[in-house]
Amino acid sequence: MLSAQTGVLEQVDGSCKLQCGQTTVECSVTGPIEPKARQELPAQLALEVIVRPCRGVPTTREKLLEDQIRGVVTPVLARYLYPRQLAQVCFQILESGEPEENFSVKELSACINAAFLAIVDAGIGLQFSFASVVLSVSTDGEEIRTDPAQLDLIESKSTHILALQLGEGTQKVENVLLFESHGDFTEDTVLRVLQFGEKSCVETAQELRKVVQRKVQQDFVWR
Amino acid sequence: MAKDIEISTSESKFLIETLRQGLRQDLRKFEEIREVGIEFGKDYGDVTVTMGKTKVHCRISCSIAQPYEDRPFEGLFYISTETSPMAGAQFENGNNTGEDEVLCSRIIEKAVRRSGALDVEGLCIVAGSKCWAVRADVHFLDCDGGFIDVSCIAVMCGLLHFRKPDVTVAGEHITVHSMDEREPVPLGVLHIPICVTFSFFNPEDAEENIKGESNKEICIIDATLKEELLRDGTLTVTLNKNREVVQVSKAGGLPMDALTLMDCCHKAFNITETLTDQITAKLKQDFEARNQYAAMLSSENTRVS
Amino acid sequence: MSEPVELRPVTFHPEVLARIAPDLYMQRHLSLGLRPSLRAFEEFRNVEISDGRLSCASEDSINVVGNNILGSNVLKCGKTMVITSITGGIVEDVVPAKSVDNDFSEPSERTNRVSQFGRVYPVVEVERGRVGAPTDEEMTLSQRLYNCILHSGLIPKRALDVSVGIRSTNSEGESSVVYPDEEDSSNAVDTPFRSKRKWSYTLYAKIQVFSRDGPLFELCWNSLLYALASTKLPRAFVDERTTDLKIPISMRGRSAVIRETFEIICDPTKYLPLSLDAANKAFASNFGVLEIDPEAQLPKDDDDMQEDVPGSVLLADVQGESEEASVSSTISVVTNADGNIKHFRAVGGTSKITIEMIQQSIKLAKLRALDLKAKC
Repeated sequence: MLSAQTGVLEQVDGSCKLQCGQTTVECSVTGPIEPKARQELPAQLALEVIVRPCRGVPTTREKLLEDQIRGVVTPVLARYLYPRQLAQVCFQILESGEPEENFSVKELSACINAAFLAIVDAGIGLQFSFASVVLSVSTDGEEIRTDPAQLDLIESKSTHILALQLGEGTQKVENVLLFESHGDFTEDTVLRVLQFGEKSCVETAQELRKVVQRKVQQDFVWR
Repeated sequence: MAKDIEISTSESKFLIETLRQGLRQDLRKFEEIREVGIEFGKDYGDVTVTMGKTKVHCRISCSIAQPYEDRPFEGLFYISTETSPMAGAQFENGNNTGEDEVLCSRIIEKAVRRSGALDVEGLCIVAGSKCWAVRADVHFLDCDGGFIDVSCIAVMCGLLHFRKPDVTVAGEHITVHSMDEREPVPLGVLHIPICVTFSFFNPEDAEENIKGESNKEICIIDATLKEELLRDGTLTVTLNKNREVVQVSKAGGLPMDALTLMDCCHKAFNITETLTDQITAKLKQDFEARNQYAAMLSSENTRVS
Repeated sequence: MSEPVELRPVTFHPEVLARIAPDLYMQRHLSLGLRPSLRAFEEFRNVEISDGRLSCASEDSINVVGNNILGSNVLKCGKTMVITSITGGIVEDVVPAKSVDNDFSEPSERTNRVSQFGRVYPVVEVERGRVGAPTDEEMTLSQRLYNCILHSGLIPKRALDVSVGIRSTNSEGESSVVYPDEEDSSNAVDTPFRSKRKWSYTLYAKIQVFSRDGPLFELCWNSLLYALASTKLPRAFVDERTTDLKIPISMRGRSAVIRETFEIICDPTKYLPLSLDAANKAFASNFGVLEIDPEAQLPKDDDDMQEDVPGSVLLADVQGESEEASVSSTISVVTNADGNIKHFRAVGGTSKITIEMIQQSIKLAKLRALDLKAKC
């Protein structure tokens, strides 16, 4: 389901190309670098998030994605380590894998996962691991699907995105970083999705961990 | 720019000195381009082109729109080339007013759109009211010089690879058939323009360049990022396989011998020929892979009626 | 021996403390069981609403001339004021040729939920005393409102269809407008014209926020909802003579006939209310989660010592600079009183969001939805 390579770009500090189902994104991280005066934070690392769509020019849709990604990445970065510095996190959607005018969950989830790998590749300090999954609930409200295909997404009654902060070797759920739902659902669905999503988030995190493991093996081949 | 790239004096001196001795840092000859890699995605019109370390992604898409009032028989065609910090920290997001960025997008615009590489009349659906609007979005992923040349290849590969959905026209009403329903149709591409960029270096002083007889200027093809930073002048010529010059652009910089231009065009033509052949071969290979079951699934009769 | 140093406690005026140490200011209030706004933890602010009499469709409109506002709302919450005005346009839909030529419908069209719903294009402006490019907050707010309206299914697509009337002029020069749903069977207005082309309304919402004081999504959403509920769409018609206008054109040896785009005229007197899906009408509430810092608490009396201080608290309706700055985790719920949730968003910062908090926030949001619905 999920495949990724790190270090795919030359000019940036960390990069990653991640494919999840029909969605492909490329992520680059540059930093810590010198920020512009208006971005500078006196005691912390400033974050610039840029999302570029696969087709057309960036719109408010991408602005919202940037805002959501920033919300997920900010609390897990060890920002106190780099005061008055800037990290640029840039995403390019290569394949959207969903009807772009109505949905953005699959792109968001892929971006969050790609950000994790690219930040690790760039060597910027992280306090926790994190991972994200998309979930959709079928029309009858019974079946919950993780990483739904394009058709499942269109037919679904509600769509949910979950990003979790994970600790202890990505085994333990520390906190909810983002949990956003749209559509037609009840409190019961929220709790069921949360429970179901927790499991698949941990699984996704394990996949990401394998990518990091492979990367470390290759990077330290000289040892 | 967030962070301009700077090159140290010793490195720049070294680079110029090696050029003077007829060497390039990546061991290429002066008239040699880097290896071009073309990779098509799953969707039609999704292509990634690499040239050495430079990497560009191009995505072609289409939608139905209303044609311009003064051109009712023509469809619309846009090329967007926007840079982002992904290609390097020297690029600022959403700010494409830098000299290089403007020059790059203008040359691609001239080479592809204004040269009529895409048959816009073929995009007309219902005269005056409906037509296809084709968009080429060029995404710069990795910058190591030669953006113009790579982008041009990427846009042309994308256009050649792209298939638009089939439409049925009944009076004023049209039906767009999905890709599963009917075989999508290719765009009308009239010729394949290829850009070749020359970089000029003047190892002597300015006086020698203008008055002198020695013609010591160095001319190289397909500069890398470092060579681009140090060059004194640049020339981009765009040719197609029919030996036609599509566009020549020399925006100031080092004055050069007029006859060099002819020489450059000759050199560029050889490159154009090989690149065009490479593009066609790659496209053929991709479509064969896509249609490997076509012969098996065909319902045509082998009998001759 | 150096002189003994005397340490005096530093004191600040509450407003100064709120500015320089919002988190400490907040914690000190929490230890008293209060919030800086003097509200209880789970208490919402009161909301005042009115339609502002801005709409040209309302009888007592205050600006009649040159007004194209179809629905409006003025929402006051604390010192924040949100003004929403709905405007609209008419666009032609693309009718597939197939449905005109032959009657059989698409073979087993799979259910596409979102395609059945109408959209609203909101623009949020947070007034800050200067003009300029929209800020990131304004852009994300607008896009969130757009997404939520679309996915909530508040507006069925049918509600936006224009049933176009025809204005015909008789021999005496008197013109009359006939609408398809008003027309009786004896009237012989040509129907084929209508079946060939289809129009629908497009709604735009301009949301202006004055005196921003805390998160805005919920205020904007509620205001937009009230405004949409008050929206009335004008009836539209075309002139009989323009229904079949064709213009021949030729260019570079090619010629064709272009059918003129119809000029649709909106009736200034007749309006139909926009029919919203009542089951999907939901109201928004926001919550903040804050961890209690044991070190920042006020010293307590001895008899209070046994009282167990909870690790973190849920605050309803985040307000003010110090609350917004110190609350790191937020929950936002869009629901109706029956528990039919339309949108849920939890953003976790440094404070942990527990299942109990999610449950509690949904419970409170439902109660609040009941309250807000009564004001509609």
